[in-house]
Amino acid sequence: MKSVVTTVIAAADAAGRFPSSSDLESVQGSIQRAAARLEAAEKLASNLDNVAKEAYDACIKKYSYLNNAGEANSSDTFKSKCARDIKHYLRLIQYSLVVGGTGPLDEWGIAGQREVYRALGLPTAPYVEALGFARNRGCAPRDMSAQALVEYNSLLDYAINSLS
Amino acid sequence: MDKRFFNLFNLTEDEAIALLDTPQDQLNEDDSRYVAASHLINFPTERSINALMRAVQNTDPSLDNRIARRKSVETLGRLQATQSLPVLHACLADPDCYTVENAVWAIAEIGTQDSAILEDIAQLLDRPGQTYRVIIHTLAKLNYHPALERIRKLVDDADAPTASAAIATVCRLTGDYSQMEQVVALLQHPNVFARRLSIQDLIDTQYYSAIPNIARCPVSLVFRLRGIRMLAEAGVPTGAIAFETVQPYLEQTLRDHPGDLDLVHAYNQAPDLPFLIRELYETDFGRCYLATKTILEHHADAAPAALFATYAEEANNDYGAHFHVMKLFGWLKHAPAYDLLVEALHNRQPQFQKSRAAAAIALSELGDPRAIPELKASLETKIWDLKYAALMALEKVGDTSGYQTAANDDDWLIRAKASRDVINRVSTP
Repeated sequence: MKSVVTTVIAAADAAGRFPSSSDLESVQGSIQRAAARLEAAEKLASNLDNVAKEAYDACIKKYSYLNNAGEANSSDTFKSKCARDIKHYLRLIQYSLVVGGTGPLDEWGIAGQREVYRALGLPTAPYVEALGFARNRGCAPRDMSAQALVEYNSLLDYAINSLS
Repeated sequence: MDKRFFNLFNLTEDEAIALLDTPQDQLNEDDSRYVAASHLINFPTERSINALMRAVQNTDPSLDNRIARRKSVETLGRLQATQSLPVLHACLADPDCYTVENAVWAIAEIGTQDSAILEDIAQLLDRPGQTYRVIIHTLAKLNYHPALERIRKLVDDADAPTASAAIATVCRLTGDYSQMEQVVALLQHPNVFARRLSIQDLIDTQYYSAIPNIARCPVSLVFRLRGIRMLAEAGVPTGAIAFETVQPYLEQTLRDHPGDLDLVHAYNQAPDLPFLIRELYETDFGRCYLATKTILEHHADAAPAALFATYAEEANNDYGAHFHVMKLFGWLKHAPAYDLLVEALHNRQPQFQKSRAAAAIALSELGDPRAIPELKASLETKIWDLKYAALMALEKVGDTSGYQTAANDDDWLIRAKASRDVINRVSTP
């Protein structure tokens, strides 16, 4: 699983050298942010279902016509797609907070997923909208500390950026 | 192209163009240029294409603009807007790796033999951090031989899907298919994307001999069916492969019993039923199939109650678990699930589409003759896998009266199935 630590060691090993001082600085930075990341991971894990539900409820509210009876593709398309997949992405974000790198998102959520979405003609807009809502919804200190929120939001941005 | 999801957002062409043209800082909180760029796929007009090209030329680096810009690139590709090639060509030098990826893909959709564009695409193979698969696929699709040696360097790439695309493309460009078994082996890779994406490479190389392996690959049957169907569509008309050769594997895949799959996961210790039910919600279907198999082998008695409970609680609105619950009721031959299966058979919501064919197969396992008219009604839909599964199900419950109609179906696979089975019945004493 790719993290700051594994990346630094892999690069050093590939070149047959010890980690450089800038390598060690990036490891140090990652360790310093670890407490904030783990706080965000813990808060997200304990509230995953609510965060996912709020995100897709927000989408339904935003595109309220989707609730009208008889609308093309019906609201349930949107809703269940979000409900299932948003939870999946939030779980990968949670793993990434624990790892301290984007490895879990990259390896299990993004690499290949873009090709699958394109090949099957599946919409990415619902995920982007719902994750965007989750990003705007987070609030410090109500949900977590300011530092933890920075870590959480940066991974949400990363997921939005790489899925879109 | 499956267009079920194209019209998610209720916008007119004018509204979508106006939204896409609105500067980011003047948008209302609820407006999304990304959605507008997605939605313009519905309007293959000069106006829409021009609006999308304007959006691509807006290089504001904010996240919201970046994603709208990328989506515009993708939509231009889907609209096959040839006039956008110069704009897309310029995107190949963009610092954003996903914009580059989408531009490469869009150029492949549009098609070009402009060697300046093709060489720029080939040079992206040396750029770190790119998704090389789409670059390799595009070079293969546009038959750019000068990139061959650069692609060959990636055949041993640590990233299995990249290696898969490289091997397949080297085979295509050289005509030497001796290395393709390495791609076939990826159908058993622990990473679900390596499994799914290797099917694409087998399709692209028209590697017909992999059809039995694809049928046994532990990914969602959507990927397996797509692969087998696309290979049949390429090979049957040219005589490279016969429908009769494909048919058993196609039907094995539609039946989709976990015992017919080579599973790549295993449990360290026998899990309990609640854990196994949770596994049905996994996005890696390989894990769902292992759970299904284990439920059938060790928890058949307690499973129906647990399945009804999870259906009521969550699976009714989770299209993955919904599918596996339907399949399990069939394999368990659980008669009280009859009404639920009939409901699933007729469920028109697009995300539950694969549950319909699953319900058809499951109803045939129940063997209740009340299902016959329900299954025959499914033959009237436009969904080929549902129709095919309904024919298989009707056959199992002893009703072959639908074959005459099916022999004239719009879909060639349904016609082939019906015609062949009619011949078999006539020739069997």
